[in-house]
Amino acid sequence: MKQGFRDVLRVLEDAGELRRIKKAVDPRHLSALAAQAKEATFFETVEGYPGWRVAGALVSTRKRLARAMGCAEADIARRFEDGIRRPIDARLVDAGACQEVVWQGDDVDLTAIPIPLMHDKDGGPYISATMVVSKDPEYGRNVGSYRLMYRTPRETGIDLVSSSDMRRYYQRALDAGRPLEIAVAVGVHPYEMLAASYKAPIDVDEYAIAGGLHGAPVELVRCKTVDLEVPADAELVLEGELLPIGWTADEGPFGEFSHITGDVKWNPIFRVRCITHRRDPIFYMLQMPWENDWLAAPVIEAAGLQALRIASVEPVAIRAPVGGCCYWTLVASIKKRPGEGKNALLALLSVAEVKLAIVTDDDIDIYDPDDLDWAMTFRVQADHDVLIVPGARGKHIDPSVRAWSLGKGGLPTTAKLGIDATIPEGVPREQYERLRYFARDAVRLEDYL
Amino acid sequence: MSPLAEGLVAELRARPRHFAELVEAHPTVAWRDLLRAWGEVRGLEALGRDEHGRYQIAAPRG
Repeated sequence: MKQGFRDVLRVLEDAGELRRIKKAVDPRHLSALAAQAKEATFFETVEGYPGWRVAGALVSTRKRLARAMGCAEADIARRFEDGIRRPIDARLVDAGACQEVVWQGDDVDLTAIPIPLMHDKDGGPYISATMVVSKDPEYGRNVGSYRLMYRTPRETGIDLVSSSDMRRYYQRALDAGRPLEIAVAVGVHPYEMLAASYKAPIDVDEYAIAGGLHGAPVELVRCKTVDLEVPADAELVLEGELLPIGWTADEGPFGEFSHITGDVKWNPIFRVRCITHRRDPIFYMLQMPWENDWLAAPVIEAAGLQALRIASVEPVAIRAPVGGCCYWTLVASIKKRPGEGKNALLALLSVAEVKLAIVTDDDIDIYDPDDLDWAMTFRVQADHDVLIVPGARGKHIDPSVRAWSLGKGGLPTTAKLGIDATIPEGVPREQYERLRYFARDAVRLEDYL
Repeated sequence: MSPLAEGLVAELRARPRHFAELVEAHPTVAWRDLLRAWGEVRGLEALGRDEHGRYQIAAPRG
């Protein structure tokens, strides 16, 4: 049977990775408290919101993401690859817990949901853990993840600036002079969130990808007021439409996945016409930037593995470190044949916005920063092993590309850096033989304690 | 318009502010009341932004 959002809470709690907070907490303070906890947080009482509980920072470390995915930390990319290779179609069911309570008409009121204020420069309270569903008459259903900024009891902003299938759907609706119906599910399993953030081809149903990750179909229910389907086990669903006003409403700033505050953007408005939720709802506060980053890691790591294989390089391990926001940096170890350190760099630097790639041999533990430093110290000669590719596509949110100097509509470029930290050709492997302690297998410290 | 919403408008007329500054200025107001009042301020359609992304009340046209 497919696992749900509440199963993840149980898995984390059983592993000692979830902290319950029983004292009542003001929604103003939810995010700051979650940021101070080493564990995921579960707020049992929220001031002014009887019946609501809030969970946050569920997958804000690689370890917790791996627990939620039921695999080892080193295997999140392969686990993701396995899932997307075997999509399983979603199944429509008659009823779901996400519709146990229905607010329509005058009852629709976003202020009745404990939407938190996260960062000190945010443009307002944000719903960050969204799975947004839309449909196009020609292309069919799409599922993505887009942040929502509270505006009024019935309206939010939605960040639809970046290129996406839903942006295309909205543009097509706008051209036809009609709104685009959407439904927003909050409080779903990380697999659904991963599928939503994965840039699948436009004809691929993200629900089927989530099904592949689960190994079981995602159960869907029909929405009450829009012709869309949402996961039956979601905690909360918002139904409504993107108004046909184009990119005209202020939205943001928001604490972005780059760990930096973004700019005010001009975006459409989401008008909510129906809210459904569980009888005992848990609001999922996706803790920026960490959860956003880690939910990107399996996707970018899987893309790195694929790029290496296309380049005929055998990958052993891959890691998208959170210091690079699990987006701009890839570190990989490979089974190297002559020249493949450089081939691997070229492959990794071709992945999306990756601007720093490091490649090591398979004897280096790329999850150990000391081991990685050691490889970069003794296996790198900067005049031979560093690759710089100028003028590649960059991203506005990276301050070093100086996007502000480009003018409206200007697209930034960036230089990409590759470091080949594999054993240089011509240097015998024996030169790198590690120290071994005398009699290390003959004695055990436990016997002397 | 509620007194709280009127107060928010007055604060924004005085100088541009981030949303968090408005929240900090009303620490004892229930979160839901603050969000409702913010909705009223939005409804005025007089909100603008300065170059730092802070909210301000746009100057009257004319």
